[in-house]
Amino acid sequence: MSIVDSLRYRWRVWTSPRAHETELSEEMDFHVGLETMQREHAGHGVVPPREARDAARRRFGNRTYYREEARRAAGLGGLDALAQDVRFGIRTFRRAPTFTAVAVLTLAVGIGATTAIFSAVSALLLRPLPFPVPERLMSISLTLPARGGRPELTDAAWSYPQFAMLRDGQTVFAAVSLWRSSQFTLRISDEAERVAGEMVDAQFFPVLGVRPVIGRVFSPDDDRPGAARTVMISDELWQRLFNHDPLVLGKTVAIDDGLFAIIGVLPPTFQGLSGQVSFWFPIVAAPPAWGLATVTAPDFRSYYGIGRLRPGVSYERATAMVRQLAPRIDAAYPISQIPGAHWSARATPLDAARVDHESREALFILLGAVALVLLVACANVAGLFLARAASRRREIAVRLAIGAGRGRLVRQLLVESGMLAAIGGLASVLVAAGGVRVLVAAQSDGLLASEGASGINTGSLQAITLDVRALVFTAALTIATGLLFGLLPALQSTRPSLADALSSESATSGKSTRRRINARQALTVLEIAFAVVLLAGSGLLVRSFARLAGIKPGFDPTQVLTMRINRSPDWSRDSIARFYDIVLDRIAQVPGVTSVAIGDCPPLAGGCSPRASLTLYDRPPAPRGAEPVVGVHWITPGWPAVMRVPLVRGRFFSPADGPKSPKVALINEAAARAYWPGENPVGRSFSINQGDTIYIAGVVGDVRYRSNYSPPAPDIYLPYHQQQLSARMMLFMRTSGNPGALAGPVRRAIKEVAPGFPVYEVTTMETRVAFAVESARFSAMLLGLFAGVALVLAALGAYGVVSFAVAQRTREIGVRVALGATSRDVVAMVVRQGMSLAAAGGTIGLVGALATTRLLRAQLYDIEPADPVTLVSIVALLVLAVLVASWIPARRAAGVPAVEALRGG
Amino acid sequence: MAGPSGSPKNELLKGTLDMLVLQTLSGGSLHGYAIAQQIEARSGDLLRVEQGSLYPALERLQRKGWITAKWGESPTGRRARYYTLTAAGRKQLGNEISSFDAMLVAINRVLRRA
Repeated sequence: MSIVDSLRYRWRVWTSPRAHETELSEEMDFHVGLETMQREHAGHGVVPPREARDAARRRFGNRTYYREEARRAAGLGGLDALAQDVRFGIRTFRRAPTFTAVAVLTLAVGIGATTAIFSAVSALLLRPLPFPVPERLMSISLTLPARGGRPELTDAAWSYPQFAMLRDGQTVFAAVSLWRSSQFTLRISDEAERVAGEMVDAQFFPVLGVRPVIGRVFSPDDDRPGAARTVMISDELWQRLFNHDPLVLGKTVAIDDGLFAIIGVLPPTFQGLSGQVSFWFPIVAAPPAWGLATVTAPDFRSYYGIGRLRPGVSYERATAMVRQLAPRIDAAYPISQIPGAHWSARATPLDAARVDHESREALFILLGAVALVLLVACANVAGLFLARAASRRREIAVRLAIGAGRGRLVRQLLVESGMLAAIGGLASVLVAAGGVRVLVAAQSDGLLASEGASGINTGSLQAITLDVRALVFTAALTIATGLLFGLLPALQSTRPSLADALSSESATSGKSTRRRINARQALTVLEIAFAVVLLAGSGLLVRSFARLAGIKPGFDPTQVLTMRINRSPDWSRDSIARFYDIVLDRIAQVPGVTSVAIGDCPPLAGGCSPRASLTLYDRPPAPRGAEPVVGVHWITPGWPAVMRVPLVRGRFFSPADGPKSPKVALINEAAARAYWPGENPVGRSFSINQGDTIYIAGVVGDVRYRSNYSPPAPDIYLPYHQQQLSARMMLFMRTSGNPGALAGPVRRAIKEVAPGFPVYEVTTMETRVAFAVESARFSAMLLGLFAGVALVLAALGAYGVVSFAVAQRTREIGVRVALGATSRDVVAMVVRQGMSLAAAGGTIGLVGALATTRLLRAQLYDIEPADPVTLVSIVALLVLAVLVASWIPARRAAGVPAVEALRGG
Repeated sequence: MAGPSGSPKNELLKGTLDMLVLQTLSGGSLHGYAIAQQIEARSGDLLRVEQGSLYPALERLQRKGWITAKWGESPTGRRARYYTLTAAGRKQLGNEISSFDAMLVAINRVLRRA
């Protein structure tokens, strides 16, 4: 078979060209050697060996020449030509460093940024959850259908007995499990720290399919009330406390006030469903302070449900079964707080529940933005190559004229664009890796979508890693663009009549040149349009962020230090108050602390206070379900002063408001507006949940507890000496200097009077305020960055088009100058061309922006998607950028002396 | 025997050398030197080509799959590369000979010798 023989030969030559060369040499040696011998022989000893050798060599001919010919015949000529092309390419790049740098940077940023963002999207939204057969896992939750003005509640938590009914009644899941996460005090020798743990049941690990690295998972016996307390620990805790000691099984750890025996260690890849969890223990093994009765009470609704489907059961069937069981659960454990409401239930694939809707939307918006950047980058690369081909028209024509093969020229241009693409591709890996690092940092700071609808923290389940498929895809796209646009002009440039191209002036009238300018103009207009869309989006986010950051949260966060301290949960009310009094007195003595107070809930933290319904004594009783609802806060009398919350009416608390004096409360302005509109509420009275009568002592300013963007809700404050306090209190200290510097001294002071009580969440109030807008800041920053890149690329495109046109019109400009045009006229003429690009691109971009910024609505605070201020300012920014981009070549054009321009043909 | 190198007179038509190599190999496997020897001997030293020009031809023919090469031992005991005609090569030889014959007839006609 000739084809087989031929291919075998080619394969050998291509895979080992060096060996092929050596063999050819050996063969030629052999040939000349035989010929020499032959001649010596024929000469019967008369011919001296030297002479015979020389004659043989002459007979053979120019050996180097034939070796080269043989190489070419063997097909290795192409390899030589490639090396030559590469060398030539490097020389060309050296001659045009700006072009090279811009092209490489464009490729690097376009590919790199897209890859980084896609990596995040892939980790948080697309990659399957890291469990065996993850699509069989479902999240099971209670729901409360919408009623009246109240929206539907889709992901309500279960109580233990409610879930038990579901577990016993269902037949669609192979197993179901319930879990919740919480903070616990972990005591190690005399140190205490607050760590996250998950309370689970025996089915938790089997449902997820997670296995321990050593030891075992919980057995049904461990999950029985009264069983010995057992715990499984994370790899991180195993390392930190036990230095990866394999004999850790059977050792005990103290969690809150319970002692737990370690029965297993989980792999480092599993950190709990809520993320960064240190240990897991059975719900029924809750520490004594929690109490079995508490965690299994019907009103302790704080568990999430998960289940693994039986083989062959569809999502629909599972949902139908869960919904069908709901009325029975509702009958046994109705919702008492909202009259007339009934529980329903639903099951959703765990994969869909992992990121809440808003975060999903934010991620896709980022992805869309970065895709636009990629398009702009592609357009820019295409424009660059078009410009390049145009400026090399003459060179190519010369090379054609002196006999270069057309195919060879095309190949050489392709090699050049391929080289650029390769360098840009390599650089893009660096950009992508850097971008991924930024995103990972953002993720660990909790900035990226993580808290899913069902308590699941996808961020900790799936680390963001560089997505190689995305890198390959975007690199292929961009590089293909480069190659395509490197090739098109190559083909075009190799076709025109030589004489035409050789005389450069006639190139201005060449049709293909005009077409090329039009193509570049179109590309630039497109770039500008995309940049405008991105600018509009980022401009809106930046303005929205500015609005958010500008919101007065209702207190003065400067120079305030906050920290949490835990008391023992089983203390009586009197000893709690005494404990806090001692701690407060000691902290007040720390130099630099000017005042200190206690509150139960930090502002801007998602809202943490319980809500309660009020009975107002000066009103007719409200119908059931329509009672005034307020957030309840417990504070020490000094709290409003420390936080600088203004007093609007009446008075603050005083130390005289003790357990034996009449019960008093402060209300915020929102409560005053809502329940005593136009009246003075001071002195009015009410009760909470039919408790003691409470008199309103004063009205204070509104404080935003949930977030910057949720308007303040009605709140009331109760003095801590008069009420039962919650277990988790927060210390607020106003300081005279840098509050962060006082963290150490305050900690030491607390340890003196309250050793063994964990102090945690030590942060300044300003940090808390900043964190509240951090994720808005982060998206505004990222989108702003993308828009900036797009704008720079678009400006570069405009610069390229305008300066190329100036170069082509040098003669025309010269004529104009000779005829009396001033340099101002010339500048105006050139700038006008740039402005026409800006006008076209800007118009298309604005239309695109109006159509797309609506998608941003959910991300915007107090800004309309079609905000005129934003749109006008981005148009101004665009005009400025293009003005600068065309000003530079315009100045160059204005500097052209008339004579030189006329001569320069 | 030795001719001055580089002169166009000594160059065979490209296809002719290929054809001669194929014809020579139709008798059996030979190494490069032997091929050169045979061509010279048969042409009575009329076809004076530089022997080196044989090697590009051999690469060309291998690339087309008409001959294959294999290292073997020469009668003098040195390593030598032996070339063998493939079936495709044999067929190609037939084609070339017939088209060469046709061309000869044509040339002769033009020269008014037939």
